[in-house]
Amino acid sequence: MKHKKSVIMLLATAAALMFSSCAGSSAPVTTFTTPVEITLSWWGNDARHEYMLEAVDRFEDMHPEISVKCRYTEWSGYQTRSDVLMRSGTESDVMLINYAWIEQYSPDGDGYYDLNQLSDVIDLTNFSEYELSYGMKKGKLNAIPIAMNTQTVYINKTLYQQYGVDIPKTWDDFFEAAKAMKGEVYPIAMAAKPMFFFVTAYAEQVCGKKFMEQDGTVNFTAEDFEIMLEFYCRLINENVMPQVEYFDRNEINSGKYAGTLAWLSDGSSYFGKAAQNGYEYVVADYPVTDSAQCGDGWYAKPATMYAMSRNTSHPEEAAMLLDYLLNSEEIAQLQGVEKGIPLSKAGRQYLSDNNMLSGIQYEAYEKMNEFDELSVLSPYFENDDLVEEFRYCCNTVLYEKNTVESQAEYLYSVFSKVKKN
Amino acid sequence: MTFGYTAVVVAVIILIAALVFNRTDEILKSKVSSMTSALNVQMKMNMDSYLDRLESIGTLVFSSKEVYEYSASDDPDDSYDAISTEDDISDELYSLCIMENFVDFCMVYSNNHTVGKISNGTNELFGSKIYEDFSAMINRAGTNDGWSAGYNNNFKRIYYVKRVNDNAILVTSFYTSELEDVFKHPGGIEDISVRLVDSNNNIIYSSLDNETGSLLENDISDRIQGQSSATIMDDDYLITVNLCGDDWKVICSVPTEIILKEKNEVQFYIILVAVALSVVAFLINILVSNKISNPVSDMVELLAKKATMDQLTQLLNKKSYEEIVSDTLHNAHTSDKYCMILFDIDNFKGLNDNFGHAAGDKVLAEVGNVMRKQFKASAYLGRLGGDEFSAFFELPKRLADDKEYVKARCAKLCEALRTTYNSGDKSYNVSVSAGASLFPENAGDFQELYTRADSALYISKRNGKDSFRLFGEESEGGKNET
Repeated sequence: MKHKKSVIMLLATAAALMFSSCAGSSAPVTTFTTPVEITLSWWGNDARHEYMLEAVDRFEDMHPEISVKCRYTEWSGYQTRSDVLMRSGTESDVMLINYAWIEQYSPDGDGYYDLNQLSDVIDLTNFSEYELSYGMKKGKLNAIPIAMNTQTVYINKTLYQQYGVDIPKTWDDFFEAAKAMKGEVYPIAMAAKPMFFFVTAYAEQVCGKKFMEQDGTVNFTAEDFEIMLEFYCRLINENVMPQVEYFDRNEINSGKYAGTLAWLSDGSSYFGKAAQNGYEYVVADYPVTDSAQCGDGWYAKPATMYAMSRNTSHPEEAAMLLDYLLNSEEIAQLQGVEKGIPLSKAGRQYLSDNNMLSGIQYEAYEKMNEFDELSVLSPYFENDDLVEEFRYCCNTVLYEKNTVESQAEYLYSVFSKVKKN
Repeated sequence: MTFGYTAVVVAVIILIAALVFNRTDEILKSKVSSMTSALNVQMKMNMDSYLDRLESIGTLVFSSKEVYEYSASDDPDDSYDAISTEDDISDELYSLCIMENFVDFCMVYSNNHTVGKISNGTNELFGSKIYEDFSAMINRAGTNDGWSAGYNNNFKRIYYVKRVNDNAILVTSFYTSELEDVFKHPGGIEDISVRLVDSNNNIIYSSLDNETGSLLENDISDRIQGQSSATIMDDDYLITVNLCGDDWKVICSVPTEIILKEKNEVQFYIILVAVALSVVAFLINILVSNKISNPVSDMVELLAKKATMDQLTQLLNKKSYEEIVSDTLHNAHTSDKYCMILFDIDNFKGLNDNFGHAAGDKVLAEVGNVMRKQFKASAYLGRLGGDEFSAFFELPKRLADDKEYVKARCAKLCEALRTTYNSGDKSYNVSVSAGASLFPENAGDFQELYTRADSALYISKRNGKDSFRLFGEESEGGKNET
């Protein structure tokens, strides 16, 4: 009897189990978690894209709850696109920005997320107060600098030696070199923005005053702009450099340019392959006039900076990514000195421990550090629109479409309005 | 019987399991196949849509006369005008491509001059052959355009080229890695690989690491050869292929063993359930068999017991007793010595008459108990009929005097059986008379031994009961032996 009851109980339990799976009395619910998606944007070349994508992959592996969508392109067009995104409030959660953009998009400090509010996620102790001050606006930490940057004179020592010319130290040396090179090779070449820095440095040394104050106040007069325009035309006409419109980066390693003015942070990508063509590049002194000190008229600025969107829906996740991009061993290993020598103590320590602080880019970094008094660039100085105006006026004078006086007056009026605008 | 039943049940379970296996296999393959096909179609549509969008943006250069009519020259009539025009064209091109991830969006002129957004990577890759080689990528006659990947084995960018005028082509490009978004899928099928290949089976994009730029492995390319839209499944691969663009193919593949891995997991559970069911069936079988067979064996055992035992006293019945003792004597060695004691209850009839047969039976049963206590397991005990009992046992080997030993046993037995039966106010003295014979001294077989013991019993009875005699010593008479 007892056994019979047990068997009945067993059968009843089995039947209950079987029918419970197909009875459909309650809807089956399976919950799942969708990763938080944040966006990251940067500009750069192929090498940068490759290591950044690898870094993002590693970050996603470390944080499977976060998915990072990347927006990246080369520099050309990046700012225009960023401008549209910033104005439409659709910018990336984390973004690589230019130093000048803080002033442009966040004059009151509210254009970007105040990163001080996320100091429990972002390790700000890796940066000095002075370094962080580059990203401060009206008491709010809008961005964190990755590295310092300055225009650097890179000289193809091999070519200079071929023509029997010493590494230039003065402005006049470049003109002497152009004579020796007889139009076969340009002593130096550069794109539009470096050219603006080049002729400004010259003009500052000649005039003995700063072009612009930190707050955007222009010290130069129309007459001073004349010096800049005339100097550019002289550089072109005497074959010191090609017109900026015809500057071709590929010619750096072909032997057509014996020198290049470029950002410190471009050192590795511009000249990394020079040795393959038998060329030795060195970092030269900043050119001077007879009366000037080396370094006068030249400026330093944060190379690039990371900022966060003020509209981000996921500040904590974005901050985790930002901290990773600034301070992690992974990014230090992958990035190396590609964006310049990192300001992050943790990043720099990793590079030092792994003997990664070397090469022409590191030489440029040391050269920059030789000049304690290298002025900090005003954010207004680097305005792309103004640089374009200057280039336009240079061509107008170069092709004698207008007088240097009228173009200098025009430039003075345009630049003087910068601060007001 | 048990084995047969279990075998049938297990066979049925195996049959059902095999049917479920096959059905699972079919359903799984069909399900994964249709999922992969749907995924592939979705990928193809994504890719076509992506390429269409980029082409559409490219055609916008025809919205500006300045852009589509301009031809750069190494020696322009007016360099300043040329630079100004190129500035305008550049602005126009930037405004067209601003919201897409174009790496290049520029005009390339027959003198290799470029205007617009041109990347350093492209410049470096094409060098002085930029116009010539981009022109060669135009392979669609009607629209004068074409797509290309893998120029000089570089698969980082995918180019779209469109002729704008006799001396100018539009060049646009995007990073191949952008296709990750195009080919992103929810991942319902484990280990599925998604690839985009060109007409020569060069891999333009792959969801696997480090495969872009290499040639599609033969295992897959052989299977999709000549197919433009198909699903192929064999023992090694499930592959779906779809043509996209002009001659590129989207290929989704998953090793069959990966699909079967899922099936194997299901099969493992089926086997587990089958084994569990077999064990349960076997146990139920054992349980049921026991339920059926136990009563029968109990009955057989009872009947056997009834055939050999006296039910009242639980001693051997006469037949069994005789058989056992006969066998024992038959097999006895020459040195073996046995004794048979035969006894009956004195005046048993009087007990029955005065107290009834129930009382008689009670006394008989008690005699059985006493005998078992007296002899334990060392003797064969039997009820030979009515009130006649017998004990047969082997004598110890080194007795000083066998007869004295037997007499002592007989005396002890008579003493143990001497009792008074009480019922109400009446009582009845119970005693036994016994006779004993020895093997081989008095007899050589059961019959002789029994006869001799019976003879001695007779003497005991005749001499006044409640006594015992050994065969051969009957003449002494009297009650001296009790």
